Amino acid sequence: MALALLTISACGGLQPVDPGQALRDGGAAMAKLKTVSATLKFTKGKISFQGYVLVSAKATVRLPSDSDTIYTVRYQDLLIGLEVVISGGHVYLRPPLSGFTEVTGTNAADIPDVAKLFDLKTGLPAVIPAGQNPKYIGADKLGDADSHKVAATYSAAQIEGLLPQLKSSGDVAATIWVGGSDHLIRKATLDGPFGDGGAASSVEVDLSAFDAAVTIASPTP
Amino acid sequence: MTPRSLLLGLAGAGLFVAALDAYLVVTLLPAMTADVGLTIDRFEQATPIVTGFLCGYVIALPLLGAYSDVRGRAPVYALCMAVFAAGSAVTATAGLLSFAGLPWLVAGRLLQGLGGGGLVPLSLALAADLYRNGGRTFALGSVSALQEAGSVFGPLYGATLASAASALGGWRFVFWLNLPLAAVCATGLLLASRDRDTTSTPASDSIDWKSAALLGVGLGLLVVALYPDDPTNRATSGLFIPLGSLSLIVLALYGWRQVRSLEPLIPRALLRSRRFIGVGAANLLIGGALMVALVDVPILGRLVFGLDQLGSGLLLTQFLLGVPIGAVLGGLLAGRMGGRLTAVVGMVCSAVAFLQMAGWQAGELALRVGPIRPADIALGACGLGFGMVIAPLTAAVLELTRAQNHGLASSLVVLARVMGMLVGLSALTAFGLFRFRQILGTPQLTDPDVRSRVDHLARLVAAAFLQEYREIFTIAAGLCILAAVVAMATMSNGSSRALSASSPPR
Repeated sequence: MALALLTISACGGLQPVDPGQALRDGGAAMAKLKTVSATLKFTKGKISFQGYVLVSAKATVRLPSDSDTIYTVRYQDLLIGLEVVISGGHVYLRPPLSGFTEVTGTNAADIPDVAKLFDLKTGLPAVIPAGQNPKYIGADKLGDADSHKVAATYSAAQIEGLLPQLKSSGDVAATIWVGGSDHLIRKATLDGPFGDGGAASSVEVDLSAFDAAVTIASPTP
Repeated sequence: MTPRSLLLGLAGAGLFVAALDAYLVVTLLPAMTADVGLTIDRFEQATPIVTGFLCGYVIALPLLGAYSDVRGRAPVYALCMAVFAAGSAVTATAGLLSFAGLPWLVAGRLLQGLGGGGLVPLSLALAADLYRNGGRTFALGSVSALQEAGSVFGPLYGATLASAASALGGWRFVFWLNLPLAAVCATGLLLASRDRDTTSTPASDSIDWKSAALLGVGLGLLVVALYPDDPTNRATSGLFIPLGSLSLIVLALYGWRQVRSLEPLIPRALLRSRRFIGVGAANLLIGGALMVALVDVPILGRLVFGLDQLGSGLLLTQFLLGVPIGAVLGGLLAGRMGGRLTAVVGMVCSAVAFLQMAGWQAGELALRVGPIRPADIALGACGLGFGMVIAPLTAAVLELTRAQNHGLASSLVVLARVMGMLVGLSALTAFGLFRFRQILGTPQLTDPDVRSRVDHLARLVAAAFLQEYREIFTIAAGLCILAAVVAMATMSNGSSRALSASSPPR
């Protein structure tokens, strides 16, 4: 008995939890966030942003609705960064080597609003717990945080609810890392037919700087 | 084929492979930088991909030229090819792993430069060893022509091969291919030289390694100090003062060793020779002007003339085609009318061509005179001028040295040109980006959607680049004229006409 206890304590780490509960805890923790940073890397398939192939995106979000995002896209065979600041309901765009100017109307609506990913009703806090067929994969360590690794499936409607620009032609398989102690979602990978024309695509999302101090000011054009 | 022409051919083949690699990067740069995550607004960060290679050249030249004088051309040649191959493998894997980003890529290019840089003085020295009497300038011109032929085909070779091998990694495949090519060249030379002593009569049984290392490190530090890491705000590195000071200290130590040494790395008589100093200064200026053409012509093609990767490579090829033709022509003319006159004519030719290029318009490539584009004529003439000076300047220095110092002497000639290219690229990047930002300003784009704003920006960028390059081509013309003046003032017109087997330094 003593040897078994010693073995268990020597292994350390997280103990397995119910995968559905892990997802519910993750959703609840995300709902309490005030600020967060997100990095998206598109590792498979082609996803377009305003007519350009999206390579990655890096966002700083101050909830409920302000964000500063740099979309790295391919322009011919060069990489260019398009910075979008959404603040106070206004959308500002800064192409490389130029200044910020406002985008309005339908053109503004076409630009993804990363803050919507964390919307309480349509974003991650609501969608994550609703994953189908959740499965516990194991414990994992991301940086300094021990996390539960959970797999689940999400429908096309659920994915489109996260961001209207993400249109999937079928179910999307997700792997989600939920913090063991704070239940915050630190990482997620999505695989599914959400690329251009319904092509198979993959995206890796890393979340960090939870509730860190953030300044997102309306740019002065 | 005689044994000595076989040896020279094999050495030239390896030099050709390395020369292909030196310049193919100018057309592959956009794809390489994208794969290590660099965006267009931080494009100056891509400069080390070019200067890394040149830095390796700078460090290798004084070391390996002198080393081959003692250890023999063939073994050192094989070592250079091995280092070049290793660097190619490192470069090819950049961007594939999380730790293999821009620094990894630059490290690979540095290794390639270390290997490739050693091949240049080796091959020139081997030519001088094998052809001691008549035919030396032609041999030198032929080796130089092979190197320049590598430059000619490099950008086009790189762009074409990368496109054809897109399923095999694109630009990466170009570098992977270096491995078998290097193996074939090195093995061939080692086998062909088995029965032939490729060692010159050594001036000494030992090499002044410390002096060679001091010179290489001092020059390398100077390169890093000059690198403009933030060209919007400054023309040099943020560590310019400490690194520049350290470079001066190291170079001063080298000079102190030279003064005190009984057998210095560079013979004192050579350093006192007006011709040697003049050739070095001319090569420095030529290197700077050369960099203008090598870097700016493909960028002009991409961003102003709207050419794709292959098209911009073809545009640069018009310039590079002139170089090996000029190299052979220069070798022949120098033997007939003298090195000084040949060098001056070459530089004036390039200067006139640069001035013509400084008047280019955005629609320049649409202009034709019959079947020929004036732009191609200007580019070809520019390259021809650069090629013409190679043999006369090299021969002028070789005449000042004994056979056992030919490796070192030829490496110093190339070193001056490469330093000119390095300083030229640093100055060019800093001045160019500074002027580009001044001309472009900070446009406020108010087009309705993202795509139309980016297209508008592309038109503004093209106009700004065109204006900037007109200024840069004018500066390059000035550098060429200055090089011609220096050559006229310091070279004797009798050089290259009559060569003896062992000319004492004068």
